[in-house]
Order: sequence, then C-alpha cells, then structure tokens
Amino acid sequence: MPGQDDNPPPPNGHSLAENPPLVEDPIYLHTRREAKIILVMWVVAMVYTCSYCYLYGYASHPSDPAVAGPTISDWVGPLESFDRKADSVTTPLGLGIPDWVFYGVALPWLACIFVSILFCLFIYEDDDLDSVEEAVSPATEGASNERN
Amino acid sequence: MNETSSITMMVFLLYIVGVFVLAGLSHRLLSKRSFLSEYFLGSRGLGTWALAFTFAATSASGGSFGGYPSLIYSYGWVLALWIGSYMMVPLCTMGIMGKRLNQVARISNAITIPDVLRDRFESPAIGLISSGTMVFFTICFLVAQFKLGAIIIEDTFNLQFDYAYEVSLIIFAVVVIFYTSYGGFRAVVWTDVMQGIVMGLGVLVLIPIVLNKTGGLEKATKTLAQQPPMAITSVPGPDGAKGTFNDLVFHTTGTPAPAGIAYRNPEKPNSPLLIHWQSDDELAFAEITMATDAKGQVTTTANQVKRAVEQDAVLGNVLKIEFPYKNNDTETVDGVEVSHGATGVIWFPEGKSEYRYPMIHGHELVFGPGRTNEGRPFHTLGMILSFFTMWAITGMAQPSTMVRLIAFKDSRTLKRAIITVSIYFGMIYLPLIAIVMAARSALPVLTPEESDRAIVLIATRLVSDMSIPYQMLGAIFIAAPFAAVMSTVDSMLLLISSSAVRDVYQRTINPDVSQRKVKIISYSTTAVAGVLITLAALHPPNFLQKLLVFGAGGLASSFLFPTLLGIFWKGTTRQGALAAMIGGFCTTVGLFLPTLLGGTRIDSLGLHPSLWGLIASATLGIAVSKATGPPPPHLVRRYFYKQPPT
Repeated sequence: MPGQDDNPPPPNGHSLAENPPLVEDPIYLHTRREAKIILVMWVVAMVYTCSYCYLYGYASHPSDPAVAGPTISDWVGPLESFDRKADSVTTPLGLGIPDWVFYGVALPWLACIFVSILFCLFIYEDDDLDSVEEAVSPATEGASNERN
Repeated sequence: MNETSSITMMVFLLYIVGVFVLAGLSHRLLSKRSFLSEYFLGSRGLGTWALAFTFAATSASGGSFGGYPSLIYSYGWVLALWIGSYMMVPLCTMGIMGKRLNQVARISNAITIPDVLRDRFESPAIGLISSGTMVFFTICFLVAQFKLGAIIIEDTFNLQFDYAYEVSLIIFAVVVIFYTSYGGFRAVVWTDVMQGIVMGLGVLVLIPIVLNKTGGLEKATKTLAQQPPMAITSVPGPDGAKGTFNDLVFHTTGTPAPAGIAYRNPEKPNSPLLIHWQSDDELAFAEITMATDAKGQVTTTANQVKRAVEQDAVLGNVLKIEFPYKNNDTETVDGVEVSHGATGVIWFPEGKSEYRYPMIHGHELVFGPGRTNEGRPFHTLGMILSFFTMWAITGMAQPSTMVRLIAFKDSRTLKRAIITVSIYFGMIYLPLIAIVMAARSALPVLTPEESDRAIVLIATRLVSDMSIPYQMLGAIFIAAPFAAVMSTVDSMLLLISSSAVRDVYQRTINPDVSQRKVKIISYSTTAVAGVLITLAALHPPNFLQKLLVFGAGGLASSFLFPTLLGIFWKGTTRQGALAAMIGGFCTTVGLFLPTLLGGTRIDSLGLHPSLWGLIASATLGIAVSKATGPPPPHLVRRYFYKQPPT
C-alpha cells in the first residue's frame, strides 16, 4: 500500500466556512492498522511454511522443464543435500502425518487458528458500523425509493 | 438399485427438499422488505453463523470436494503445502477488507461490488466495466461448475444410459436455478449454511470410518513410501471421452533398471508391439508402441498388451498390468474371458502410436514436488509461492465472497465469523488429505481422469458393508461435493443477475424503474442466466479445469487492487482504479491465452499467471493514480473523513 505521504491533504480548506475541521475516520484508521498486522502475519506464515516444506519435505527440487526461461527454482538451486529418501519418512506422535507436513503445515495451521482467535478477541476493533451515515447519491435513489 | 444407492438417493432427496423449503421461507421475506436490497444482499443483516457458513461454503467450491481430493489421490501429501495458505485464508479474506468494505458500501448504500466501485470513484465507466468483467469471468467459472454438478449426479447414481450427462445436468440446473431465482440472496445464504454443515459433518464422519477400515494413516503413509514405481495411463478417447479407452496400470514389482525390451505382437508378427522401459535420471518410463494397420490406425488392444507382458519371460517378472476402475468387469469374447472396456482399440491423441508413461515412485506421494502424468514436477517453488499467495490474497477479491462482506450486520458478527471459519477450514482441509491418503490403499487404481471419483468411491465402498446408519452417513458425505458446487453456483448466478439488473439496467438505463418491474427483471434474469449457462454446459469445452482456474484468477486480478486501493488509499483516482482493473484483466487473459488455445500456459519465472496479473494491476493502479492525482476532495472527504464527535 502506498505510504501515507502520498495521500492528498485533508480536504478541509475549500469549505472551512461551512464545515468544521474534519478528522480521519476512526474506522478507516482501525481497518488500515488491522490490515497491516494481518498482512505481516500472512508473510510470516508464508516464509515459515514455504521454506520449511521446500527444504525438508521434497524428494528433489527441480524446476518445471515446460517453463521457458529461468525460474525461481533455478535461482535457488537444486538443494540436493536436502533431498528426502524413501526410507527417511517419520510420523511424529504416531499420527501418520509425514514429519515435514506435521511441522511445516499442521502445526503452523493450528498456530494460525489460535492467533486468529486472539487477534479477533483482542486486536480487531469492535467498530460501530451502524453509525455510518448512508449517503444517498442520485444514482442510488432508485433503490431507496423502493422502501417508500 | 442396491441398498447403498437407495440410501444415497433418499439422503439426496431429503437434501433437495430442504433446499426448496429454505427457498420458500426466504421468498416470503422478499415481500416484506426492500426488494433489491433483500434479493441481492439480504438487507445487510447477516448474523455470525450465516456469514461464517455462507462465506465458507461459497469459498469452498466444488473443487474442494471434487478436484482437491482428486489431486490428493494423484499427488499425495504435497497437497498439504498446496492448500497450506488456507491457514490464513479466513483472517486475510475476511479480516483485511471485511469491515472497511462494509463501511464503504454503507456510505454509498451500494448493494453490489460494481456498485461500490462506481460510487467510490463516481464513475459509471468503472461500474459498467467491472460488471462486464465480472460477468465474463463468472460465466467461465460457472460453466465448469455446472458440468461438475452434473457429473456428481451421474457418478453418484451410476447413471449409464444415453444422454445420462444431459439428464443429470438438467436436474442440477432446475434445482439450482429454481431456488436461487425464487429465494434470492437469503435463500442462497440459508442453503449455504445447510450445505456448510453437510460438508463439515461429512468430513468429521468419514475420518473414523476410513481410519478404522484401512488400518490407519501411519500404516498407509509408510506403506506408500516403500511402494514400487507405478505408471497409470490415461489415454483419453476421441473428443475427450474418458474412462472407456483401455487405460492400463503398470506396476513394477522391483526397482526399475535401465533396460530396453522389445516384444512382438504374437497375433500379428509383422506389427511391432514394443514395451520397454528405461531410466531417465530417477524417473523411469513405460513406453509402448502399438501395432498399426495399413492406414496407420492403431489396432492393438489393452488386453493384447496385458497378455503379451504376462507371457514375456522378462517383463512378466518385473511388470504387473491391470485395468483400472470401470475396466475391471469381464466378458467372454470368442470363448476367451477378457476385461470389458479393454477389448477396443487403444486410442492415442493426435494420431500418435507411441506414448511414454512415467513410473511414479511411492515416496513421490509422501514428499514433494509430486509428479504429473507427463513426468513433470507438480508443485515447484514458483507454484508454492503462487498458491500461498493466491488462496489467501486473491481469495479476498472474488466478488462472490466480497458481496458477503458488505452484507453482514456489524463488526462483532465479522469477528465471530472469522473465528468460526478459521476453525471450520482447519477441520476440513487437512483431514481431507488424511482421509484420501488413508483410503488410497483400499481404493481401486484410478487414472487421473477417474480420480475425480475418489471421494465418491471412498464414501460408497468403505461403508457399503456397514450398517444402515453408517451408510446414511456415507451418503451425507457424498452429498458434500454436490452441496459445495451448489453453494458456489447459486452465489455466482446472483452475481450475474445483480450486475445486469442493478448495475446495468437500474443505474444506467432506467433509474426510475418501478419495484414491480425490478422484481420481474430480477427473477427472470437469474433464471435466464442459469438457462444460458446450462446450454453452454451441454457442450462444454475440453479445457474445463483450465477455464475454472482462468475464471478465478481473472476475477482476482481484475478486482483486488481497484477495491483494495479504493478503500485504503486516499490517493487512488478513478483513472488509477480503471488502469488497475484493465491491467489485471489484460495480463491474466494474455498469459492464459495460449492455454485456452490448446497450448501451454505462460508461467514466467515459474509463477502462476494470476500472480503476474496482480503485480500488473497494483503497479498500474499506483502509477496512474500518482500521475492523475489528486482525486476529487469531496470523494476523499466522503470516504476517509468524518465530523469529529461533539
């Protein structure tokens, strides 16, 4: 998202005589902050899950020969020392889930559910959406008229 | 009809009756409230359970219970990484935009997503272009979903008569079109809740049954890791017909070694029948060359291949050949018992008489990257990053889910719904992998085309010898994919009609339209859209799965950044939003075009085209907004500022 400096100045000036100074909408500020936190959490989940699984859960690390030109796999390299062999699979806790899926996907998945619950309970603001004034633009009058 | 089929039929009928009852109840509400707002948005009154389940059920399209289990069957545990981004999907798709989008929609009293964009930027052009884009990609998506719905009916009830597909399609279409047209958004939401419960219940019920009947996941995983290589042929019939053209499964009974073995067809000594296999790095291929007649047409049957291999002194020791599902019935031809379906001529696409089938090791189903039927790696690093981004980030921008975010009641509802969906997705997607992987050993061998049936086979075969209550639970599970398809299709049908009625007719052509006329147009547009899509699905294109991915990717790259920038960045101009939408659309269509024309998709740097669509959309949206800014002050004031509390 572009930085705050790129935003236009508060549009108060041209009609100060008629309108009192405006403040930034608190719901907008809350949702922007919450969106940034969620995006950071998503990046953390992606970096951990993708890198763990790619390093510890792959029998080989090839690029797709059907893709023309260089690929990200080529840049990272073949990582042969990480290649898993058939007899190397273990299943933690006897659940039958391969080790790399258990540590790379299942555990972080559980963690994400837990963090999502905490986020909703303690960080996500309980904004009052009912207080939003519904503006009736000329274009939406048709829908509004139905109520009459 | 056997007992299992009768029970399945009964559960299906009960389910459909339930859907109609909900549509009837919903229709009664339509007469009491503002028609358009109620018909397309449920009067912005969704509570926690309704929002959670309608969101979950709409997101979990038919692919979740059809394509996803099929991919698990074909590629194994790597699907955990493929779907892994769903750990963040509820928080990302509902939490990032939900509250703010709902607020912006309330400010302008918008009831559709094009409505939101049109008012946010005061641009009829954006409204019309976004409506057109939405209808275009949604139709692509819906044709594929209608076909999937028909196939589920056809497969579940094992309909084997002429026009079975067409009859199934009409049954599916009539049910969906009727309840969607008649009940509107609230009927869709209520049925979504029911469908969401059916899906969740189905998974929870099947876990103990499958683990108990197959000896557990631990055993299945370790057995699979040691399984010798196997090749499953999937030769499609002429015009893409599947499952009838003599597919073969090659099992090696030892480690493949570089070897070349030629064999002559004993019945036609002058026609070569070659079966040899060789190692190519670690990947071995079964390579078969068929006998041909004077016109060059292949004449070898699958049975001849099988018999030739079995009689060969060397091949018979290292290869075991069987016919996969559907081809395992036998019949007597000229006094010889042969497998039904394996008596015809093997058909190769594009007149080929040779084909290479990769022998896939068992451990390739336990570790990544998985192997496609052409021998290519399935989930490469580029695809890992693409899918982790696509599910969580592009999932935000599907209009069918976004419209639910402008329909909920208050922010407390949204918070509870995020928690509910987080737990719900965790209960469905990972357990589905465990179910399919554990049941794999108990299933017949399925070709890639037939693997779509994996979930139906698991539910029917594993419970067929159990008591009636278990069979009923199995039938509920079979209803899950059907419910998943319906819950996606109904939402998208309403999207199309809302675009036509609200965005095009009411807001562009005739703003003074009467309520009575709006009602008639809404009902009939929903029905007509459904009928047209049914007609298209009667003769669907062969690249159906690609169409599905194209539709979802196109919607995301066209809608994500115009919406995201519009609600979070004050500096977004209407030109910037338009550039973001058109840029995303053109990039996605351009990169997918080769696929739709029968070629190979352009995955630059190994990344999915949808990702490039998003990158192009974001770049253009920001650059053009900066070049054409600042935006009109009254719009910034309206959407980003408010009077201070007194």
